[in-house]
Amino acid sequence: MDRTDAGALVQAAADGDAAAWKALVEGLSPLVWSVVRAHRLSDADAHEVYQTAWFRFAQHLGRIREPDKAGAWLASTARHECLKVIRSAQRLTLTDDPRLLDRISEDGTPEQSLLESEEAAAQSERVRRLWQEFEELGERCRQLLRVLMATPPPSYQDVSAALGIAVGSIGPLRQRCLRRLRARLEARGAM
Amino acid sequence: MSGTHDRHGMDGGDGEDLFGAEDFDDGEFDDGLLEEELRRAAAVLDPVPPELQQLAVDAYALHDLDARVAELTFDSLVDALPVRGAPAAPRMLTFRAGEVTVDVEVTEDGLMGQVLPPQPARIEVLGGPRPGSPLTADDLGRFTADTPLSGPFALRLRTGADVVVTEWLRA
Repeated sequence: MDRTDAGALVQAAADGDAAAWKALVEGLSPLVWSVVRAHRLSDADAHEVYQTAWFRFAQHLGRIREPDKAGAWLASTARHECLKVIRSAQRLTLTDDPRLLDRISEDGTPEQSLLESEEAAAQSERVRRLWQEFEELGERCRQLLRVLMATPPPSYQDVSAALGIAVGSIGPLRQRCLRRLRARLEARGAM
Repeated sequence: MSGTHDRHGMDGGDGEDLFGAEDFDDGEFDDGLLEEELRRAAAVLDPVPPELQQLAVDAYALHDLDARVAELTFDSLVDALPVRGAPAAPRMLTFRAGEVTVDVEVTEDGLMGQVLPPQPARIEVLGGPRPGSPLTADDLGRFTADTPLSGPFALRLRTGADVVVTEWLRA
């Protein structure tokens, strides 16, 4: 989400405009979800961290010093809550990748039900393979790419807040990770 | 601002597609395509659950400019050093809004806490954008809840004319 837009929406929402709040949620929700997913929490923990970030954002609305940085504020809040979950070790449960993949095949999303034709099935297979290779990347790359693939694409400032890495190192790291992913896909003949 | 940077100057578009995928000088352009493909995959395979997003929309009700926010100033999960070999200690939290301090200990059975300086207070344990369960702090500011906390929570305290809400936190 564009910074100017975010700043204006935060201001409007703080002044009582519920539609502006809804637009903020729609624009930044995938970023918050990506941050949570990047940290590999269990589904239950992921849901709770996501909610905590939004509840706290709502609570601080109108008190946020730099409204145009709402994305970074949410990303950073989500990250810190994720780290707390990881710290309280007895609660830590890793996301079970195969189960995630199974779940995808069991109850298809609406998008999937549209993928009926054979061509679409091949496309769907490609997406599945891409996802599998992505999930098997090293932890750092998997984290970075999971945040980068939010919709709309997050700014590097948002990514920095989400993962606690310097803005300047994101570009080179992104390049390396995408190439590593491409190499894996090529090795499987999937490119 | 996003990941779309300048390409590295190679056009790569002159019919050498047989080896195109191997041509790493194509870099930035291919990177952008692959990232975009990942973005589409994430939107299909791991989207924000709709019911969760609806909770975020509903959270607008938590926007309350009349209340003061008590910020988290101590969280044993972050600020306390673990004692080697000691059984898991209860989570200790301290919130502060101006001169009012709220100490909270999260237990298996619920929570215990104290408002400082000591004073009676009416307290609501919030779990989301719906009315929470009520508690009362005694004359010494002490309060207890015996419903286990799960998920995000906040305490809304009313002391005289003052309303203070603790920062949202995951129990």
